[in-house]
Amino acid sequence: MHFLPPNHYLAAEPYVGNNMIRDAILHTLTNILGPQRCLYRKEDLITFSYDAHTDESLPDAVLFPTTTYEVSQILALADQHNIPVTARGAGTSICGAPIPLHHGLVLSFTKMDSILAVDTKNRYAVVQPGVANADLQKALASEGFFYPPDPASLSVSTIGGNVAQNAGGPRCLKYGVTNDYILGLEVVLANGRVLRSGSRNVKDVTGYNLKSLFCGSEGTLGIVTEITVRVVPLPEAHRTILAIFNDLENTANTVSDIIGSGILPAAMELMDKVVINAVEDSAGIGLPREAEGLLLIEVDGIDEAVEKEMERIVAKAKTNGAVEVQEARTQAESDQLWTARRSAYGVFARLAPHCIVEDATVPVSNVPAMIRGMREIFDRHQLKVGILAHAGDGNMHPLISTDQRNQDEQKRVDKAIREVFELAVQLQGTLTGEHGIGTAKLDFLPLVQDETMKSVNATIKKGLDPKGILNPGKFA
Amino acid sequence: MNAEEVYQCGKCGLCLSVCPVYHVTREEGTSPRAKVQLIKHFSEKDLDSSLYLQELMRKCLMCGACTSFCPSCVDHESVFMRMRAEMADEFGDNWKLRLFFHLLSHNERLRFVSRFMHIGDGLVHKLRKSNLRDIPLKRLPQLNTKSFDRQVAATNPPQCALKGTVLYFTGCATRYFFDQIGWSTITVLNRLGYQVDVPKEQMCCGLPLFFHGHEGQALDNIRSTINIFAREDVDAVIVDCATCGAALRHEYAKVLSNLGQPTEKAELLSSKVCDVSEFVAKHVDDLLPVLAQSTEAAIQISYHSPCHLRNSQKVSQQIETMLHSLPGVEYVRASDCESCCGGGGTFFYEYPDITRTMVTKKIENARNTGASLWLTGCPGCRINLQGNMDEGEELTVQHPIEVVAKLLTGK
Repeated sequence: MHFLPPNHYLAAEPYVGNNMIRDAILHTLTNILGPQRCLYRKEDLITFSYDAHTDESLPDAVLFPTTTYEVSQILALADQHNIPVTARGAGTSICGAPIPLHHGLVLSFTKMDSILAVDTKNRYAVVQPGVANADLQKALASEGFFYPPDPASLSVSTIGGNVAQNAGGPRCLKYGVTNDYILGLEVVLANGRVLRSGSRNVKDVTGYNLKSLFCGSEGTLGIVTEITVRVVPLPEAHRTILAIFNDLENTANTVSDIIGSGILPAAMELMDKVVINAVEDSAGIGLPREAEGLLLIEVDGIDEAVEKEMERIVAKAKTNGAVEVQEARTQAESDQLWTARRSAYGVFARLAPHCIVEDATVPVSNVPAMIRGMREIFDRHQLKVGILAHAGDGNMHPLISTDQRNQDEQKRVDKAIREVFELAVQLQGTLTGEHGIGTAKLDFLPLVQDETMKSVNATIKKGLDPKGILNPGKFA
Repeated sequence: MNAEEVYQCGKCGLCLSVCPVYHVTREEGTSPRAKVQLIKHFSEKDLDSSLYLQELMRKCLMCGACTSFCPSCVDHESVFMRMRAEMADEFGDNWKLRLFFHLLSHNERLRFVSRFMHIGDGLVHKLRKSNLRDIPLKRLPQLNTKSFDRQVAATNPPQCALKGTVLYFTGCATRYFFDQIGWSTITVLNRLGYQVDVPKEQMCCGLPLFFHGHEGQALDNIRSTINIFAREDVDAVIVDCATCGAALRHEYAKVLSNLGQPTEKAELLSSKVCDVSEFVAKHVDDLLPVLAQSTEAAIQISYHSPCHLRNSQKVSQQIETMLHSLPGVEYVRASDCESCCGGGGTFFYEYPDITRTMVTKKIENARNTGASLWLTGCPGCRINLQGNMDEGEELTVQHPIEVVAKLLTGK
């Protein structure tokens, strides 16, 4: 290897695992991006081989583009040489979506992180894909606005990543998911051409609704390089309450009762005893350890409306057997509860070497049956599982503590997960409400996708990525 | 290499949101998660050691934010220290750092050199163009005319009724550069009724050595400090430096445990350690009645929370509360009071670009508070912050205890 970036460490050979990328290509990429933004030492490859899921796969090189033009040049090169390309944000995905399963190039967008425009009069903002969700919220909050989709990873997860997965979050119950907030996308296609779809208008039905095609496509149809998002005014007031139950069934019933009666809180999260205790062990904020279930409910809107809705929710909770309802009295208390909630995944990750989280989703009136069913399945397979859920929209998050090195346990985990998905399908549900398929749910696609669906997916994929270089090995 | 901590890591990535280095670089490679995963691959023999791996390990402020935030309770500090030791064993350090550690590990050498430094000190301040990375040499603190331990008595009883006795671990900074902190500490603690004993044989706490992976070299420092200071019969072991405090309170037991040594005495020492600002905050009710009430306009003050005090010792809010309650000063909170200053001990020397981005923001936010005094209980932070400010700037960095002492003595 004759070409060496100007750095005295590089005495060792770079890792070229499967020889897919030749010296010349690396040389060209380094010319496009500079040696600081084109990495291929084994140490760097390792740090881009994982996300928050259990699967890992090494890329051949990691690139940090900062302009659309650079992305276009990279894709043109990849197209010419059939090199797989996988985009990546902060890498907090919990399903394996940004893992370069077939190696090749990883495009990390964390350095392409400018907020290009904020226009609250016209209710939009324009951002580059590497902007962290929380940074966008901060920029908007100073103008009295916010961007509703709030995945638990929002402190670091990027808007680009949110778009790729059509991310959800607790607030989606009332406000909707990422797809509902995209007004326009700039996408670099598999051959390097740049597509601009949508506009800055809140209503626009000109041509195909391509934004909805790319959003949630997990990087398999194009690489997003600019996003125009819809933003909404911050609600005047919000209130957080904790409803505590001695019976998980009652907890689940309360959820469907509240939603069924027409009340729509901003968020309604369910935690079972296992999750409550794990989070309390870590955060120590005074969650009730003896409770069989609790609901963390947030209501927002105009002061008077919030008051009324709160009263009705509390009444419903009590009717359904809540033993206690506590209200967070200050912003700090409310923040504390939500921070603890967001830490649930990480908290579970310490209970065993690995944590698998699923997000099978069912219609809300089937939440009680789904929770009952899941408990039975996991108990029968003797697995340590905590049940967490965006209960208001039926989005379950069973957190499974396991050790992937234990073959026996893995067999039980796989069986249990399959039964959970089968149960969800029986209850008119689906495989994934918000995390995405990634690598985690590939095996289960046949449960919800028939031949027609597969064929249509394949047609679209072939049309937009004929050589199959965009995040290959995933669902499309 | 033993690295069981890494198996707690679920790769959730929440550490990226609190890591100051990641905030600047936005590269996964400099995040705590990446370091943990690299250590995992290394310990599983899937990754060879290399200079680059050593650099990735060192590109870390060792601020402890990741450890205090990790929901999976990964003990980053322990495993990072052990990994740095592995890398140091194999690749060593650059000669300047090696010399620095060599001095710190032997009291007599440090004293010997400090005498020569006096001669050089006068010259150095005339060398206008010379810099230590971003800090002009003449903005570095001047040496004490005599090292503090040679100025102070071994026993300093209070003039009022005796409430108890404390031992004072001065640390290198106070001893060689900031004797006014030493005198302020004694003044204030005496006024609170405490006798302050300053053991003469005390050494450098050793943290710069073992944070860089030279645990064995630091053993003398650790043993000596424990032998002198781990005493049941004193009310507290006072430290005026956040980093020394973290070493005595937190790190000693870890290092000894890593080296397979008994930790009981280290734990006794740990239970006695109290940062001087923390001590004052605890006894502030005894202090307020005797503080000078001034009719002059209150001086605006602000606070920088040192990482080693906030993260590993969990002391921060109480110091701000104490500053709020002092008469004669008005405390204005900087918006990023709890953000790392970027100094990181030797980090500012190794990665000046990263430090520059961080310290520039800190200084700007402190200036915005309108304060004329910027208080912090860490000499490393102090040198980094003051050193990067402009010549003739009104904002001055001091130790909180200096302000308390001045209020006590009526300036």
